[in-house]
Formats: sequence, C-alpha cells, structure tokens
Amino acid sequence: MPQPVSYRGMTLLVPDNDSEWAEYFAHARAHTLMMRACTACGLMRYPPTHACPWCMDLGWRWQEVSGRGTIHSYEIVAHAIQPGFKELTPYPVVLVELDEQRGRPTPDEALRIIANLVKDDLSPEAEARVAIGARVKVVFQDLADHFALPQFTLGGEPPVGRVWRLGG
Amino acid sequence: MSHLRDKYCIVGVGETEYSRGSNRSTRAMAVEAVRKAILDAGLTAADVDGMMDYQSGDSTLAPHVAPDLGIRLNFYMDVVGGGSSTEALVGLAMGAIEAGMCRTVAIYRSMNGYSEFRIGGTGARAAQPVRGLDLAQVPFGMRSAGQNFALTFMRHMYDYGTTSEQVAHVKVAHSKHASQNPKALLKERVTVQDVVGSRWIVKPLHLLDCCLETDNATCIIVTSAERARNCRQRPVYIMGVAGRVSKPRLDFHWAHGPISRVAGYYAKDIVFGQAGIGPDDVHVTGSYDAFTFTTMLQLEEYGFCKKGEGGAYVSSGVIELGGRRPNNTAGGHLCEGYTHGMSMVIENVRQLRGRVDDYCPGAAEGQHTYDYSVGRCRQVKDAEITMNLGWAMPPLGSALIMRR
Repeated sequence: MPQPVSYRGMTLLVPDNDSEWAEYFAHARAHTLMMRACTACGLMRYPPTHACPWCMDLGWRWQEVSGRGTIHSYEIVAHAIQPGFKELTPYPVVLVELDEQRGRPTPDEALRIIANLVKDDLSPEAEARVAIGARVKVVFQDLADHFALPQFTLGGEPPVGRVWRLGG
Repeated sequence: MSHLRDKYCIVGVGETEYSRGSNRSTRAMAVEAVRKAILDAGLTAADVDGMMDYQSGDSTLAPHVAPDLGIRLNFYMDVVGGGSSTEALVGLAMGAIEAGMCRTVAIYRSMNGYSEFRIGGTGARAAQPVRGLDLAQVPFGMRSAGQNFALTFMRHMYDYGTTSEQVAHVKVAHSKHASQNPKALLKERVTVQDVVGSRWIVKPLHLLDCCLETDNATCIIVTSAERARNCRQRPVYIMGVAGRVSKPRLDFHWAHGPISRVAGYYAKDIVFGQAGIGPDDVHVTGSYDAFTFTTMLQLEEYGFCKKGEGGAYVSSGVIELGGRRPNNTAGGHLCEGYTHGMSMVIENVRQLRGRVDDYCPGAAEGQHTYDYSVGRCRQVKDAEITMNLGWAMPPLGSALIMRR
C-alpha cells in the first residue's frame, strides 16, 4: 500500500483497492491531467469512477485533457476550518469547467473540477484576480513520489463570456 | 393524489433546551425529547412500538434510547444522515406502519452539535483521514457545509443577479421570529446591515448568513389518523412527503448543471402531487436555513416564486410574520438553534395546532394576540397548510406538506 500523504495537517489516504484515485494522482505526479473515458460511449467523467454514469458500461481508459478551462464558480475562504489552511486565508477555491466536453451530453453538463486558484509559486491567487469567466490552466503541486494535486493558475488568455466577481 | 394522503398524522412533538454546552450525553437528551413528545401526544410508553433516528456517528442509537423509557420495539431503524432526513423519516414511518410492522413511531435526532461533534467540521471531524470522494475537494481546503455550498450560492449570484442584501433578509425575518420564541438561542432582532457587515466566513457567506451549531434533541411522533383521533392534541395530517430526492450525480453534483439548481426541482412534483395542492395553497413554510441562501434557493425551486427571483421574494416581506407566507416562524437554524431540520417540522405542527409556544399569556390554551412586535406573538392566524423544505446539500432534499 502506498504511504499516506501528509499535507497541511491532513492525511490523504489512497488504499491499494482504490485504483481510480491511485492512478489519477499518479498521473498528476507525472504532470498529466487524466480523465477516465468510457470505451463504449467515449464520454469522459470526473471524479474517476468505476462505471460510466451515462451508459453504465464498465470499460474505461485514461484520456489526457489539456488542463485548460474557465472558472465556472468560486468562493473565498476567509475562515479556515482545517487548521493547516489558516495561514493561507483568504484563499480561493474554484470550480473549473474544462474545455473538453463542455455541454455534453446535455447542455448543462461538463467536466468540472475543484481546486485552488494559485500563483506560479503555488500560493493562493489574490482575490481581486479571481472571477467567474476567467481562463485558467492546470499546474501540479507535488506532494510525494506517487502523488500530486492538480491546481489551477490564471492562464493569461482573454476571458470567455461575461466576467463577474463578488463586489466587483 | 396519494392514496395515503391524510391517513397519517403527527401527534406528538418535543425537544430539549437549545444550548451551546448541554453537559449531557446524546442518550440523556434523546430520552428527554422522546418522553416529552410521548406526553405531548397523551400516549404511554406501551403505545410507542417504532423508533427511528438519524445521525452521523455523533449520537445514541434507538436500541439505547427506547429501553430507558421502558419502550419495547416492534420496529426501529438508525439512519445515517443529516438535514434531508426529517421529512424522509416521516415518510418511512408511514410506510412501516402501513406495512403492519408497527403502530406508532417516534423519530428523534440528538446531537451535541456544538460541544462534542461540531457540525461545522472543526475538531474531531477535521482530524479524520481524507479518502475516497473527499479527495476531490477536502485537500483544497473545502470541508465545511458553508465551503461546500458557497460555489452554488456564488453561481446563483452570477446567473440571476442575487445580492447579499437580498438574502440577508432571511436572517432578518428569522431573527424577528426568534424574538417571539422563549426557546431561541438568539432572540435579538438584526438588520440587513448587521448581516452584510458581519465578518466573512467563506464568500459569499458572512457570519450572520450561517446557522448556529447547537446541542439539543428533538422528537416527532407519527401514527395513523385513526389512532390520532384518540390522542391529546388536535391531529396534524400528512398530505404529502418526499424523501432524499437528489439531482443527478449525487457524488459530484457540480458535473451536472445548472449548479444553481437544487434538488427541490425534482422533489416538488412528488410532494405537491401527493398533496393535490400547489405553492399558493401553503400558508407557512419551513425552508431549511443552514444558510440564508438555502432558504431562498428552496423557496424558488419549489415554485413559491419564479426560478431566479428568490432574492426578490425573500426580501419582499412575504416570509416574515405578518407577511403572506412566513418562513421558519420559530427562528429556524439561523436563530433558534440547529437541529438538522426537526425543529422546523415541530414548529409547523404547533402552528397547525394553533398552539405555538410564544410569549402570549394564553399561548398554552391557544389564546394569541397576533401582535408581532418584539417579545409577543408568533402564531400565524388560521394557519391551515404548512410545507417543510428539507435540505442536506444542493443536490439533496426532502419535503413535507401538512394540514390541520
């Protein structure tokens, strides 16, 4: 069994029998963002799960995505619950909609992923730069030999659609 | 229309003190709440033969509560869950009785939600290893209920132009109601400015947008309408119930948008269909207020206003005592105390009985002044139909329609 990962006072546990997450985070450690894709219908899904939520097929393969996307929603944590996050406040949590598979298979569905919006040094991005509609790209925060967290930074691309931030 | 409409009743309700330091076990509190509900119904221990409860490893289960009161059970079920459980368990109790498994069911929730297992996720809960689905969010500092829901609230502001000031009116209304409630933890009335001026917890939530972690136990007793006629209180009839209705992708609901849609979208036709009524027929609502936003989101999703107009609805005065359709007249989770939904059903039962426990001198006899100034009355005049909108998460909800 891989060693548990210690991060900000938390113990991140991926047992051997949880191959979905173990392989996902191992790919992240190799700095690739991989989604599980159904070998029957071709649709990708996140989080990595055992069956296809659209056609129930059990066949799957890992498929790399670009790691580029748009902030679909966000929040700014001012009062941290986990002790290890207190020194990071205020920090943004973002819901990123990946470019691949937007609006499929139904108009409001998408590959969406939760992460922190960070600067190049992986510290929290400034609140004034976080907005719905902002473009982002994936970066990887290495935590162990077998484990990295996908995070996101502002991509430097022009925003998509309406840009909005609370109080902005 | 459901073939069970009006065939089951809530006949007894009870609760302990709401506190932030009970100094008692969840067993002791559960026993007190169940006993009070039995006495409220005019029943004895021998009349209660079913028991259900919900918890998340933070409470005492039915096998250790029933015997304390001398109750022998023909049926019990300990359920894992939180806010969406209350109404769902009422429906399950009806089913158990309908199936002939038992005759009368006591449903309770007992928790030291402040002094022992904090609902907000701090303390013992925060120290647990992160595994499974939690890996999709907890490593990013997203752990508490507020942090879980804030993405939904923020997107609603983006989609519909909802403002902090609009939803602050939910707290304002519930604080007004709590000022009429001797049991409430927070009896002070607050203003919109108090809410939006309070410190940020997780944007877009201020401190006063959030409910109160509380120590308490609560109990509701369900039985058939036939038996209800022999109980002490005026029967309150169950017209319709929906339990733990979910959005698609309950594992990771953000994958299936619009994310500003909540489970009431799917639950409303079930519960209104059973009851044979619509939103306009409801006199009092109990829309779960874990946060100001949750009350607003559910009211609009169940059709009390158009989708997206919840901000305007909750800030219009409609949801306050004296308004057209008051919500959470005891003060709710924001002001009375946090009970995982039970207190909101209890309050609506008392509203339908005309026996709300406010400051009116004749309250116990049903004599109310309908004076809604501070420290007076919170009885809604001639309340005939109430509706509870239970919430656990954006993609999960329950609902209950009752009449007198």
